[in-house]
Amino acid sequence: MTETTLAVVLGALFAFGTYLVLRRDVVRVVWGVTIISQAANAYLITMGDIAGSVPVLSHHGPPFSGTTDPLVQALVLTAIVIGFGTTAFALVLTYRVYEEHGTIDLEEL
Amino acid sequence: MNQFVIAPLLVALCTAIVTLLTRRFGRVQRALSVLGAVGYVAAVAWLITAVYPAGDPAVYHLGDWVAPYGIVLVADSLSAFMLAISAVVTLPALVYATRHVSAFGQKVSFHPLFHLMVVGVTGSFLTGDIFNLFVWFEVMLLSSYVLVVFYSGPEQTTATLRYVVLNLVGSAVMLLAIGGLYAATGTLNMADMAHRLANAQQYGVHVTPVLGLTALLFAVFMVKAGAVPFHWWVPDAYAAAPAPVSAVLAGVVKKVGVYAVIRLYFTVFAAAPLTDLAVPGDTVLGFFGIVLLAMAVLSMLFGGLAAVGQRDLNRLLAYSSIGQVGFILVALAAAALRPEFAAVGITAALVYSLTHGLAKGLLFLLAGVVEDATGTIRLDELGGLARTSPVVAGAFLLGGLGLVGIPPLVGFFGKFLVFDALARADVVVGLAAALVGAILTVAYVSSAWNRGFWGEPSAAVEGWDADSVQVACVVVLALGVVAAGVGFNPILEFARAGADAAIDRSAYIAAVLERGGGAA
Repeated sequence: MTETTLAVVLGALFAFGTYLVLRRDVVRVVWGVTIISQAANAYLITMGDIAGSVPVLSHHGPPFSGTTDPLVQALVLTAIVIGFGTTAFALVLTYRVYEEHGTIDLEEL
Repeated sequence: MNQFVIAPLLVALCTAIVTLLTRRFGRVQRALSVLGAVGYVAAVAWLITAVYPAGDPAVYHLGDWVAPYGIVLVADSLSAFMLAISAVVTLPALVYATRHVSAFGQKVSFHPLFHLMVVGVTGSFLTGDIFNLFVWFEVMLLSSYVLVVFYSGPEQTTATLRYVVLNLVGSAVMLLAIGGLYAATGTLNMADMAHRLANAQQYGVHVTPVLGLTALLFAVFMVKAGAVPFHWWVPDAYAAAPAPVSAVLAGVVKKVGVYAVIRLYFTVFAAAPLTDLAVPGDTVLGFFGIVLLAMAVLSMLFGGLAAVGQRDLNRLLAYSSIGQVGFILVALAAAALRPEFAAVGITAALVYSLTHGLAKGLLFLLAGVVEDATGTIRLDELGGLARTSPVVAGAFLLGGLGLVGIPPLVGFFGKFLVFDALARADVVVGLAAALVGAILTVAYVSSAWNRGFWGEPSAAVEGWDADSVQVACVVVLALGVVAAGVGFNPILEFARAGADAAIDRSAYIAAVLERGGGAA
């Protein structure tokens, strides 16, 4: 059940992000990229198994069964920090594009 | 411990921090920055002397955590060769930058960003952990975004916007692929992953999803390398960036994509058996051989054709980079399609990477000299540079002929080895495309020479006023193109050792997992 829900949510997030990336408005493009990268993070978390059955460093066997993989959470934490920096830069760049061109419409750039 | 493995990384990182701290004191900052770049070359030289003749990969366990649990840095001949390319391009580019980039720009952010980009590149060449590779990519990219937009004019902001959006999507895709590979193989350590994929049944690894995930990852590396169809950010970004940054982007950062393909696809993923698709050799590598060949052929043809028609020297060089990366990839395609010639193909790709790094680094710096000295980079406004500045024109000739591949320049050996690999592996399509690509190279180099350097000096060229330090950096690289060609044998030996290191999976796995034992 959880797996199906997650798969649908992730799919929807990627679809929505892709839709936004293809817009003309630069701010929406940046939003789209942010949503895609957050969707990637959410996907990464699911690789650690939300239901809590995958052990720490191997995919099988006791005595570790019944734990959620903490490694992917560490990875996602790293990815979130990097995403924060890149999003901030993308937004500043968007403002700079507006200052230089007087528009953020990609068709007019 | 093998401290020399981490030395280049630490030197570059410390230089970045120190140049950030001393930015109030312009002269001190510049001196420390150049000193740091010299230190980087020394650290790389130390690493090479420690790793190369001995042959065995040297491993540094970060925080003394054993592999595959902790992150490892691995220096073997392949990494050492790539670091050598990075060292020989970054030092002249940095010295050049101290005289080219505006004083304000240097004071504010140029030096820390430049060194952080070198940190990212170095980390990517050294890491033995696939997620760590992602982090180093981000370090490299984030610095390069700011360096491309450096002058933040209309041209720069538009170019950087494309570059940033493409690479942000690329980063998300890379994260997806890495997450998926972790789920499929249960490890992030490259050596451990190679070991598990080679014994897929024993570890219960399903190879089919691995193929899809590696294909995702491959797209990201091709974005970095700027191969068709992921090439469209290249011309704008290279033309917009300051000359020394373009030199490093084309000479070094591009090669990170090439290195990642060699390291991951030839060392790590190659052994994964793939029987349900009819690909050459029935391995994951065989599948990518076909993909590499298609992209390489398209890159050589498109890059060459587009470069011939350019009116702007920077853009001509940028399109030429797309074509030249095709030559590197076609050698890798030969290596992937015919595993028995893998060493020959990878050797050719490595030598060509060095050739292209030297020649293209030289030409981008030279374009910067021309722009500073005449105020224009448009070929129709230039002309007669050979008369006003024979030294610069001579350097252009050496760099251009280096790309074309005239003996005794190093470019000749690069081209020769690529053709040799293609002929031996019997890749006819690649051979034909490479021939056309080589002819196109002659066409655009001679077109640039005829329009920019031959003939009567134009009005812009009459007022030639070049900075001697800038010219000196260009001349040093030009001498490098000659010296590397004349004394080619040691370079060939080094590249061969690098290729052997890329293929010798068991030595790589043994060196990394020696202390771990967990997956052995």
